Amino acid sequence: MINYKRFSLENGLRVLVHEDKSTPLIAMNILYDVGSRDENPAMTGLAHLFEHLMFGGSLNIPDYDTPLQLVGGENNAFTNNDITNYYLTIPSENIETGFWLESDRMLELDFSQKNLDTQRNVVIEEFNQRYLNQPYGDAILKLRPLAYKVHPYRWPTIGMDMAHIKNTDLEQVKSFFFSHYAPNNAILALTGNIGYDLAFQLSRKWFGPIEKRTIQSRNLHAEPEQTEERILTIERDVPSTALYKVWHIGPRNGKDFYTLDLITDLLAGGESGRLYTKLVRGKKLFSEINAYLTADIDPGLIIVQGKLMKGVDIQQADESVNEVINGLQSENEIKDEMEKVKNKFESSTVFSNTSILNKAANLSFFELLGEPGLINNEVDAYRNVSHGMVIEALERYFNPTNCSTINYISTRKKK
Amino acid sequence: MMNNLQRIRPPVFPVEKVVIPEAKSFRLNNGVPVYLIEAGTEDIMRLEFIFKAGQVKEYLPLLASTCNMMLSEGSQNYSSEELNRSLDYYGVFLNQTAEKDSAGIVLFFLNKHIEKVLELSREILFRPVFPEAELNSLMKKRLHWHMVNREKVQNLAIDQFFESLFGKNHPYGYQIREQDFENITPSLLSDFHTKYYTPENMAVIISGKIHNKTAELLNSYIGNIGSNENNNEASVNFINGEKLKKVHINKSGTVQNAIRIGSATINKKHPDYPGLKILDSILGGYFGSRLMKNIREEKGYTYSISSSISSLDIAGYKVISTEVGQKNYQKAIDEIYSEIMLLQNVPVKKEEMAVVRNYMSGEMVRMFDGPFALAESFRSVWEFGLDNSYYYRLAEKIKTIDPDEIIELARTYYNIDDLYEITVGSE
Repeated sequence: MINYKRFSLENGLRVLVHEDKSTPLIAMNILYDVGSRDENPAMTGLAHLFEHLMFGGSLNIPDYDTPLQLVGGENNAFTNNDITNYYLTIPSENIETGFWLESDRMLELDFSQKNLDTQRNVVIEEFNQRYLNQPYGDAILKLRPLAYKVHPYRWPTIGMDMAHIKNTDLEQVKSFFFSHYAPNNAILALTGNIGYDLAFQLSRKWFGPIEKRTIQSRNLHAEPEQTEERILTIERDVPSTALYKVWHIGPRNGKDFYTLDLITDLLAGGESGRLYTKLVRGKKLFSEINAYLTADIDPGLIIVQGKLMKGVDIQQADESVNEVINGLQSENEIKDEMEKVKNKFESSTVFSNTSILNKAANLSFFELLGEPGLINNEVDAYRNVSHGMVIEALERYFNPTNCSTINYISTRKKK
Repeated sequence: MMNNLQRIRPPVFPVEKVVIPEAKSFRLNNGVPVYLIEAGTEDIMRLEFIFKAGQVKEYLPLLASTCNMMLSEGSQNYSSEELNRSLDYYGVFLNQTAEKDSAGIVLFFLNKHIEKVLELSREILFRPVFPEAELNSLMKKRLHWHMVNREKVQNLAIDQFFESLFGKNHPYGYQIREQDFENITPSLLSDFHTKYYTPENMAVIISGKIHNKTAELLNSYIGNIGSNENNNEASVNFINGEKLKKVHINKSGTVQNAIRIGSATINKKHPDYPGLKILDSILGGYFGSRLMKNIREEKGYTYSISSSISSLDIAGYKVISTEVGQKNYQKAIDEIYSEIMLLQNVPVKKEEMAVVRNYMSGEMVRMFDGPFALAESFRSVWEFGLDNSYYYRLAEKIKTIDPDEIIELARTYYNIDDLYEITVGSE
């Protein structure tokens, strides 16, 4: 059981505190309710570029990292479709430095042209490193616009086109900051060696004076229902052919999220997952295969991806994946396997919550979903999934007309 | 609301002195040493079995890693599927590792399942049968993974880096070729296993919530394992680096080139090592390091650049790693050398020393926070025959090292003529 308390400041900042005295450290997590889904389609990648700019100095502090390192702290951040999340760990005696740093960059950034120029280059190198200079790296870039035609999930967090990044100017950056970075659009979580009273007092002192801001309203067009199967074939000089299949699913707080999560674990949770045992070990069609949810807040995707063994026909591989998924409808062996993935989920939740950083990130995200109690209830939600619910979800989502497929064909000649 | 807060920097408090809980140790009936580290709030355990069965012991490429991977592919009493299903059923996370010097398994689990975990561990470690069908299938998969990995410039670079440092014939150095995947047979594995996965060759490290009966249980499952042979064949205990210091591997169609610069060096057993660790941090060991500040934050040439220093049994090595676009890659190399030369010639200023001292002190707190970090920190000195006094020496050195000593270390250990420079990508 993870005990936590929460309160809100007058300016709308929500704060969650979980005390864990077994550690000398404190984790501080600040989640901003802004991600790549909030971007203008003509200027994608801004939310992520912004994350980089957040380390370039703020109104009263010319450099974010040095003062933190000077008190023994360490930090990082990530951006996804939905959120931008900043986190640090710090020896508890120096926690006030964390408040000073984080509140100052919420107050106002030092919008410097030099920093923008440098970080644009860094982001373009990041794009090259992650997506262009890796075999299969561009598959995910092709997958999104295949599955989404309307919703902003159609572009990746790093941006759909690096020209957008190159063209970003300081005015756009400023306006993005003031319409998304604000106490009333953020959640602060503190976990570790900190009591509630100190957390409350420091939050009020440092974040209290920051004024509320007007947040750009979110009017996202829902993705229309997909009505026919989509298949894209790409040829690349890679060692082996790969298969990517995605199906649209419901939103993160939809009633069948944990059912779908459990389905991906039945399929690909560990070495004993069905896709692995049947298609890698058994039929030897794939050298590796995986299944997972995107876990986006708006309706997301379930993704199955695998690399084929040499000489395997992609049609046969594709059919075998569908066969394994459909096999989950049968009672055969399912009871034990459901118990198995439930045990594993419980165990992995316990392990994840041994880290103060994970606890802080989870508390913030669950608060954003409107359900902070999920930090303690997720295991039950997952345990409550029945085979009937699995069958229902399979029937609802795993239809060919709801599916997009990429056949990523290797053009390499055999030796 | 009035913004009347004076945004004055809070005081900097020195990071508390590190206190490291000592491991308790005892021996099983068969002599296997066991180390127990009590930590954490949850009723969980990290259980590591470590053997001197790494690559350095192999007489054929891939032998050590394949032997380790095949441990869970079938035993006297369980098929590979049964083993894996059982581990998953009890919510156990199993990591199999074969490194340059050592190999073994690490299990993470809820304490209530300890008996099952010990029973399965005994099967995996001491009763594997190396079935031929599973082996063939594993080697085909590994060949696929290998081919994909060899598409990545960073893998081509690091493989060549180790070959250059440690030589084409040493297990630390040789590169894997596609034909190597055809040479491993069940009997070779079985032979390697019999020689090196023995009580004389192993230790157990346990951390988490330790129960009264933990020791007794361990003894009842593992304490009666015997061994027939005693194999303390010495490994090849010298290394012979390649003569050629600069190697470029041409790979067309890349948008970034990989760079690895470094050399073999001292390991943890050497008294200069703590100082070298600090020098490495200043150069490229953290976000505020010189390489990061100059090459990423100032010039924007790369998404990431870092340096690190690592210890192996018979040597250590240091390496600077980055991926840089074609346009800037020569400039990045020049900047790397000029940062090294600066450290050899210009004393590090007081302010920068303070940052690195405090950052590293914080890092030391993180290294001993919680049962998993504690176990890893314990292992990484124990392997070298050292104990926690290494960490106290490091903590002391972090406080007391002065700029002259940094210059001295940079001159001794970063002689530019000794450094290998490996680059991969389009010319």
